[in-house]
This record gives sequence, C-alpha cells and structure tokens, in this order.
Amino acid sequence: MSAATLAVEVLVWVAVITCLVCCLGLVVMKDFFERLHYMATVSTVATVALLAAVVIEQGWGQAAIKMSLIVIVLLVMNAVLTHATARAARVRNLGHWQPAEGEKIAGLDEIAGGRKDH
Amino acid sequence: MNIWLTGSAVLLFALVPCGVASFRGDTVERLVGLEMAGMIVTLLLVMLAEGMSRVNFYDLALALALLAFGGGLVFARFLERWL
Repeated sequence: MSAATLAVEVLVWVAVITCLVCCLGLVVMKDFFERLHYMATVSTVATVALLAAVVIEQGWGQAAIKMSLIVIVLLVMNAVLTHATARAARVRNLGHWQPAEGEKIAGLDEIAGGRKDH
Repeated sequence: MNIWLTGSAVLLFALVPCGVASFRGDTVERLVGLEMAGMIVTLLLVMLAEGMSRVNFYDLALALALLAFGGGLVFARFLERWL
C-alpha cells in the first residue's frame, strides 16, 4: 500500500468518524444552542479532510475544483445557518433578539471596556 | 468496493441521529437535524462520486449544498415569526 493510498484511507475515515460523532452529539446534547455547535465540526473538519483526500487521489483537476466549491459553500452555509437558526430560536422565545432587560451576556463587559450601562 | 464506497455506506448511519433529532423537540430544534442531514448527504454524494469515478456526479453534491443552504435559510426565517 502506497503512502498516498494510506493517506486517502485515513482522511476518508477521519471524515466519516467526525460525521458520526457529531451526529451522535446532536442527539445526546439537551440544550438547543449546544446542539448547534456540532454542525461546525462537520462543515470544517470533515469537508476539508475529504477535499484533501480528493486532491491526493486525483490531483488538482476538475474533481478537486468542484470539491473546493462544495467546501466553500458548506463553510459559508454553516456560519450563516447557525446564526439564522439561533436567532430564529431566540426570536420565537423572546419576541426579539436583543438582550432582555437586565440579561447578563458573558464577555460583554470586556468588549465594552467595562461599560456598565447595558 | 473501494474505500470511498465503504465510507459512504458507513456514513449512511449518521443519518439516523439526524432523523431522531428531527422527530423530537420544538419546531426550531427539529430544523437543526434537517440542516445536519443536508451536510451529511452532501458529503455522501461526494464520496459516491469519487467511489464511482464519475466527476460529473460532483455537480449533484454542489447543487444539494446550495439548495440546502437556501432551504435552511428560508425555514429559519419563516420559523422566526410566522410558523
């Protein structure tokens, strides 16, 4: 078995196992906002591992270019969809997505330079 | 049966937890299962295309990724206030 074949096998299994673990996390986690995070690993680790496997197997040809497009779409899709879904859940619960009166947001004090009026 | 086809057969099992997530919880919580399933099936189509050595089949995965993106966004937008 050549080094390239071994690398392709390892990368494919990394992608498959990442997907399986993240899908299990989707079911195991109780909180909705915790579940959202599991989509990020699939869209980064698994897709980039598959892209690397395709490039190793076929070189920079038509397949690698199409796979690169898919990786870009999935990366953008995950970021936008995660934000949109979290916002939809918050709006359904509160009626708006801004911080509620007196709500503590972790890290906001550091960002605002210690401002206390939020 | 090469590594890509074996991997895609194993990856099919990842759809089971997505289905379970889509069957329980609040309406928005179910949407996460659908979005995850969209990504998994996109990767599945890539692996099938590579396993069958058909470069043209990559277009299916690309189309699904774009459609899942639009669909998820529309679902999230409508679930925000109207559904």
